Amino acid sequence: MSVVDRIRDGDGTLAGVAGVVAVAAALLFAVSPLTASVPGEFSVFVDVGILFGLYAILVLGLDLQYGHTGLVNFGHVVFFAVGAYTVAILAAQDSFAGTSLGYPWPLALVAGVLVAAVVGAVVGATSLRLRDDFLAIATLATAEIFHTVTVNFTDTFGGNTGILGIPQPVSNLAGSFEKTMLATLVLFLGLAALTYAAVTRLTEAPYGRVLRAIRSDELVTRSVGKSTFRYKMQAFVYGAALAGLAGGLFALYNGAVAPSYFTIQVTVTVWIGMLLGGASNHRAVLGGLAVIMGLRLFSRFANDYAPVTSGEFASVRLIVVGMILVLVIRYRPAGIWGDAEELGVDT
Amino acid sequence: MGLVQNVVFGLVQGSYIAIAAIGFTMIYGIVNMINFAYGEYLTIGAFVGVIAAGLFPLPVAALVAMVGAGVASIVLAKLFFTPINETGPVPMLLTSIGLGLVLRNVIRLTAGRSARYYDTQTTTYEFTGIPDVPVGSVDLFGNFFVTSEHLVVVACAVAVFAILHTLLTRTDVGIAMRAMSDDEDLARVRGIDTQMIRNSVWILAGVLAGLAGVLIGIQTNVSVTTGFSQILQILAAAILGGAGSPYGAIAGSYIIGLVLALSTAFLPPSMTGISSAIAFLVLVGVLLVKPSGIAGQEVREA
Repeated sequence: MSVVDRIRDGDGTLAGVAGVVAVAAALLFAVSPLTASVPGEFSVFVDVGILFGLYAILVLGLDLQYGHTGLVNFGHVVFFAVGAYTVAILAAQDSFAGTSLGYPWPLALVAGVLVAAVVGAVVGATSLRLRDDFLAIATLATAEIFHTVTVNFTDTFGGNTGILGIPQPVSNLAGSFEKTMLATLVLFLGLAALTYAAVTRLTEAPYGRVLRAIRSDELVTRSVGKSTFRYKMQAFVYGAALAGLAGGLFALYNGAVAPSYFTIQVTVTVWIGMLLGGASNHRAVLGGLAVIMGLRLFSRFANDYAPVTSGEFASVRLIVVGMILVLVIRYRPAGIWGDAEELGVDT
Repeated sequence: MGLVQNVVFGLVQGSYIAIAAIGFTMIYGIVNMINFAYGEYLTIGAFVGVIAAGLFPLPVAALVAMVGAGVASIVLAKLFFTPINETGPVPMLLTSIGLGLVLRNVIRLTAGRSARYYDTQTTTYEFTGIPDVPVGSVDLFGNFFVTSEHLVVVACAVAVFAILHTLLTRTDVGIAMRAMSDDEDLARVRGIDTQMIRNSVWILAGVLAGLAGVLIGIQTNVSVTTGFSQILQILAAAILGGAGSPYGAIAGSYIIGLVLALSTAFLPPSMTGISSAIAFLVLVGVLLVKPSGIAGQEVREA
């Protein structure tokens, strides 16, 4: 977020440069003989920061779908999971459970993005013609179906155990645990910046205007000769592919995938981040995501001082998260940094 | 296990899904929202019922649960949904998802994680002597049993259907509900107090959720996830039947119940966990062929 957030609105080029620099710096740092140490109390920041990089890619893809095109995808986690499981199945070696084919990881990552895109195309083809809230339900149901499949088809997906033994390329380059964490943090933030650059390029082009036209009035857009279904489909597939990329990266960072990583909680977190910041504004959605993940960080520290068990504290945190969602929709429907007029909502 | 046994389970499950799905689909038809927090209304009913069952006989406890869930439903609607009524279906859906998260965790904090049980006296009626006809790996007939809880669930469902039908066809409120479901503007022009009808639907939906929660509770147990584990089935049943149509919801519920129960008969034991996924495949299939459901209003845009 540090890099991305300071960039001026619409300046995709700067994000692109920052992304390339960050990715290069992360890789150089990983192969260099430099060592690094993270003080114990800061490791949680690095941890949440890495997750932020991944969720940033997720939320940018979701914003392309909802913020720009108005597609209510409430199954975003499924594309994240498809990317992660594809990488796991193709690249893992000697997993304890499930299928592990042991192919090279770069190939698996590319496949993860492609498979997520294909799944996105299939889901899109079947549900993009539905009314908004039914699209939400259809995508939600898709996520539930995939979750059930991963739990039950043990031979392929490893059931509740999941798939272990996924190669961790950054870890192999960097050696020590702490160095790996730092290199991964910079690398993922860099990749998030590159994603930012890519989606900004897309949405600032005339193409993005068509997407926003579909969001505000599909019928009018169609009447000026645009094939709205094709545009909706493309936006949906791009978003799915980005989620697949995030999922693949997650698998290569974590070294293991399991159904418990891919719950509706992921969908809810990116949705709240997007709505809180202000849908359709890339900087705003990242800001919103930072707020909601900052809350997660804060709650980890606060739990040390609060006289409740960590289970109770988790419940309190989810109550707060739910209330934020409810209150944002009611009082700031355009989000904190969103443009109410642009989104066509009353404040 | 014979096929007949699975049909029995399917009818029982269809019955309690139907009671809940009627409430769910009426909220859709009249308030025009998909209420994803509706599963939590079942949980509230189940918990109120299990607490009341410590003080009163079970039928009275069930009534207390229905009143409790009805009150919860109207209060939550006034607090969360009525203020954003005009913003359209998506903000309403998102709000209900947030509310569901809040309710589930409030219940977890207050009620704890351990399951609770209704103290019921189960009588099991065994039916034997039906010749077993094996087809492939499935025994078609064979012995089967029915418990007193099964009978209670089905009887309650039939009673609900009868009362609902009377309400919708014979009373002013019910006729106004149908009118609003068809065309809200026209209903308002004709002098129907639309806000009053909305409130009635919230209460009715809550009452039905409370009953469904108790019925699920007496068969298994009561826990934080009692309602949440049902919401996708309820949703599938309501959409399958055509969102907004109470009669369609009844049909959809029995289809879902039977599909779930029969899929366990035909799937190998290791695969029984995917039966809920099958319910959604049925749902997605229906949405593809007829996006408005079996008896529903048009949901496809333009």
